Amino acid sequence: MLAYVIQRVAQSALVLLVVGLVAFSMFRFVGDPIDNMLGQERTQADIERLRVVLGLDQPFVVQYYKFLEGAVQGNFGVSYRQGRPVSDILIERAPATLELAAVSGFLAISIGIGLGVFTAIRRNGIGANVIMSASLIGVSLPTFLIGILLIYLFSVELGWLPSFGRGETVDIGAWSTGFLTASGLKALILPSITLGLYQMTLIMRLVRSEMLEVLRQDYIRFARARGLRERAVNFRHALKNTLVPVITVTGLQLGSIIAFAIITETVFQWPGVGLLFINAIQFVDIPVMAAYLMLISVMFVGINLIVDLLYFAIDPRLRVDRTGGH
Amino acid sequence: MIRAFLLASTVLAAPAFAEEFRWAETTDPQTMDPHAVNSAPVLGFLNNVYEGLVRRGKDMAIEPALATGWEPIGDGEGWRFTLRQGVTFHGGEAFNADDVVFSYQRASDEASDTRSWFAPVSEVVKVDDYTVDIMTSAPNPIFPDSIANWMMMDSGWAEANGTALPDKENGNYATLNTNGTGAFMVTAREPGLRTVLEPHAGWWGEATHNITRAELTPIQNPATAVAALLSGDVDLINPVPIQDAARLAGNDAVKVIQGIEARVIMLGFPHEADALKYSAETTDANPFADARVRRAVAQAVNVPAILQTIMRGNAEPASQLVSPAMRGYSAALSDRPAYDPDAAKALLAEAGYADGFSFGLKCPNDRYLNDEAVCQAVTGMLAQVGITAVLDAMPVQNYWPELRADNYDMYLLGWSPGTFDAEHPIRFLASTPNAEKKLGSWNFGGFSNARVDELLPMIQSEIDDSKRQAMLDEVTGILQDEVAYVPMYVQPLVWGAKSNVDLTQRPDNFFILRWVTVN
Repeated sequence: MLAYVIQRVAQSALVLLVVGLVAFSMFRFVGDPIDNMLGQERTQADIERLRVVLGLDQPFVVQYYKFLEGAVQGNFGVSYRQGRPVSDILIERAPATLELAAVSGFLAISIGIGLGVFTAIRRNGIGANVIMSASLIGVSLPTFLIGILLIYLFSVELGWLPSFGRGETVDIGAWSTGFLTASGLKALILPSITLGLYQMTLIMRLVRSEMLEVLRQDYIRFARARGLRERAVNFRHALKNTLVPVITVTGLQLGSIIAFAIITETVFQWPGVGLLFINAIQFVDIPVMAAYLMLISVMFVGINLIVDLLYFAIDPRLRVDRTGGH
Repeated sequence: MIRAFLLASTVLAAPAFAEEFRWAETTDPQTMDPHAVNSAPVLGFLNNVYEGLVRRGKDMAIEPALATGWEPIGDGEGWRFTLRQGVTFHGGEAFNADDVVFSYQRASDEASDTRSWFAPVSEVVKVDDYTVDIMTSAPNPIFPDSIANWMMMDSGWAEANGTALPDKENGNYATLNTNGTGAFMVTAREPGLRTVLEPHAGWWGEATHNITRAELTPIQNPATAVAALLSGDVDLINPVPIQDAARLAGNDAVKVIQGIEARVIMLGFPHEADALKYSAETTDANPFADARVRRAVAQAVNVPAILQTIMRGNAEPASQLVSPAMRGYSAALSDRPAYDPDAAKALLAEAGYADGFSFGLKCPNDRYLNDEAVCQAVTGMLAQVGITAVLDAMPVQNYWPELRADNYDMYLLGWSPGTFDAEHPIRFLASTPNAEKKLGSWNFGGFSNARVDELLPMIQSEIDDSKRQAMLDEVTGILQDEVAYVPMYVQPLVWGAKSNVDLTQRPDNFFILRWVTVN
């Protein structure tokens, strides 16, 4: 058991290191941050001096090593653009992204499961067919376009919801929340729909197909034969058995909701870490890009590690293999 | 008490008295330190918060600000500034000569991006509390013109908060906090999210605006900015995407404010190179070293057509390195070479390139308005006279390193003179590059003309306006004859505002809040 855990953790750490190395080797191609940091009247000497100050004259492997050296001490460097510690900026921006991801995830799961069950039970009904066709939009339209369409409909034409931003926020310690103000809640609606739509349709289609599968099982027929009410059969017996794969997929999708927030945040000028990352790319703000990429890869690697360890806990076959002493 | 409150809220609600104003720009000012970064978003925003000895009016002319007057000392040894009395900083500190001397030391330090403004200055001397002498090493007639963005900071405040010098790399107190003398003070600053301004009650000037609170939000995505304006979430956006300008102009709730920016867009050449770098066949010669070939390019590019189609009629053709709004513009030389493909072909034949040649055109794709589209049009027009450009467009962060490494056969450049004077582009674009004298630092192609180099210091120190203009005209003439660059057009400014907003658009693209009235 312990050997397996150590092995998985070591593999995860290796993946992180490689991701970081690849990221640092790519930064050169994003461009040169120097021109943004110096004004029009800079001289060649200013350029050389700043390059040395920032350590950009070093090979990327050395830059990466210095970044790692700071990162293990919790120091991600200073943003080229803002002149402030990257960790401060990330902490400031994280609540916006996490709240948006949480609401999107909640919408995707609740509506996705609800519609999935509905379309499975009434699989030949008109309503179910309309929903199934409409869900194609969710999978096929790019997030960017959905966001712009929603803005034009609900902000520009109808004037019901704000077109950008987070509304008013309330600070609770270091956490700024938009859940406690009317404008904050209104501002969440369009971006969370935009961000969650893909996951929502995915969950809906998954629930539907799993549910159709389960409804064909013998125990459902027996339940019906016993004269159980339709609702009890559908929700107590069928849905419960559908949820196991749904939970697995949803867990893995949680990571992508946070990672894909980049596009939604850009369209809605949502002040989260995704927007921060996009701005960092435009400015070639290497410390911010590096910290964000490392954070996202830690998240994905972490989720995968947990899933691996859960499989180990759940699946006895893995345990037998490992302790079998090859 | 309640009555007083009700009364106050009535006053606040009355539109003629008080308004909250929200505006969106593409770029958030990266710092609140007026000496740390010399860039338009920073200086433009801080012009509302900090003030200099002089400032620019609605017509860009220099007018008194923290100095009430100035006069040359002796025979051009420097300038004496008389300071305004009774000026207070937002924190309540009084403004006097010590702050000017301090701000000079701070802004001219090696750590400051604004250092180059003070290259001509040898010393700043406090004569008394309200008189300051700024000594220059050579006569400098345009010095007052060149310091409109040199902003005054309180010495006591800066020293007490450990920000006696700017720190661009790591930031310090002044990166996030301000203490100016301007009409507005920053009451909240969240970098990249929002910056809130409120009027400075103790401002020395008479406020003509009716704003009680203003908020700047950066919005990078142009479609989002347009939607924010149309939905009424913001009162002003800068810029409006060119393709949306006509649609917004047709909407009664908003208006489009157009003007001409100070920036001239031009084509540049590798004057010094021995051979083309990206040519398929001409690998041992540099056709662009021949002025006839450069002239052929100037005549082959149909600038009016570019302006009509790509700029949708929103820009003006340019004949020289500065726009007509700049001081020192050569009015007599305002004709640009006519579009004439036959003449261009004849010139190419004369230079020995009757069959044309191929070369590489480098172009940014996110720096100037529709830059890549302009380069594509140029490519097409040059093909019609037989020279084939291979276009390579890239983000600006990759672009400047390419130009510095001489990786181009022709390139696109925009230039906005920081001093609003015709001398500026001569110094940066037309002088023979010389790192020691800080000349020609953006002259990537290495254009060099002995007479231009000789005239530049004379222009810099000439006190007599008409003699100075004659020399500027001579330089402009040389640059036109030599076709050092091919100036194409002056970039347009397009702002969008709600129709109840009155404002003034300045050619430097600075948004001055105290000129705004919300009706």
